[in-house]
Amino acid sequence: MDAAGVGEADAGKTRWLILIYQLPREPSRHRVAVWRKLKALGALYLQDGAAALPEDAVTREQLEWLQLRVREAGGEATLWEALPNTVAEGRSLVDEFRASREAAYKDLIAAAGRLRRKAELRSDGALLLEELGKMEREFRAERRRDYFRSPLRNEAAAALRAVRRVLKEGVEAERSGGAGGGQ
Amino acid sequence: MRWATRRGCHVDRTACAWLIRCFVDPGAEFFFVGDPAEAPREAELFDVAGARLSHHGDDCSFETFLAEYDLEDPVLAEIAEIVHDADLMDEKYGRPESEGLDSIIRGMQLALPDDEALIHHTDALYDGLYAYLRREVL
Repeated sequence: MDAAGVGEADAGKTRWLILIYQLPREPSRHRVAVWRKLKALGALYLQDGAAALPEDAVTREQLEWLQLRVREAGGEATLWEALPNTVAEGRSLVDEFRASREAAYKDLIAAAGRLRRKAELRSDGALLLEELGKMEREFRAERRRDYFRSPLRNEAAAALRAVRRVLKEGVEAERSGGAGGGQ
Repeated sequence: MRWATRRGCHVDRTACAWLIRCFVDPGAEFFFVGDPAEAPREAELFDVAGARLSHHGDDCSFETFLAEYDLEDPVLAEIAEIVHDADLMDEKYGRPESEGLDSIIRGMQLALPDDEALIHHTDALYDGLYAYLRREVL
């Protein structure tokens, strides 16, 4: 696949940012907030208190602010730029990043399938469109942190497009059907 | 007055530069540095870790500017929500404009040679956003 090809070439060249941090045990809210932010960015923990992201302007900036946040919360944090020692090591990290996005895409694909079946059966299109909007937002968030194009990304995008098409057609039919029914 | 920030401006810094020129210091002169230590000594730093005009707690630098300069314009408060969501990507305000702004400025970063050119172009963007929101807010 084309996405996998891009990754093969990238794996050896990718520079990584590694945030190494430690926060006081209490209050736990700081630890939770930092963990949440790293999850939202799609970072992978290499081990406790050491999180990695591929280097670009966005990840660098986000991690710099996170480093500041850790320090403001009374913790310690250092930010490192790193290259894996071997191509194989880099590649396995890339694979891990890809795999970490698979579950979310799978959930989206399944949810899109359920919504599509609902759309084909029922006609409360406006409500279903709202549900779809939420799923599309989730997809965009997922795509932002999918740094190496997980193979399921295209499948998820296609599943969402398919639901939107069915729903649009349903809503339009509802409208013209309602007018034709003389309500 | 002289103002300095980091190179590679994205939403928060371009928005702050616009805010400075339009609401704080019309004659502002900007410096974009790789390391804050390279900034001219008398320059006021913004969006630089540890500076007065930077991120504080949950706030992005644009929000800090509004608080520090007592800018109570409701249109600016709306722009602050958009900038916050685009900068911190935490969907705190759920502003749909953020995603578009983020893509547009990322693209402009790629297309324009340097930060000075970038902020001249993004000024028009924020002027437009301000004019548009003003109709809705006031």
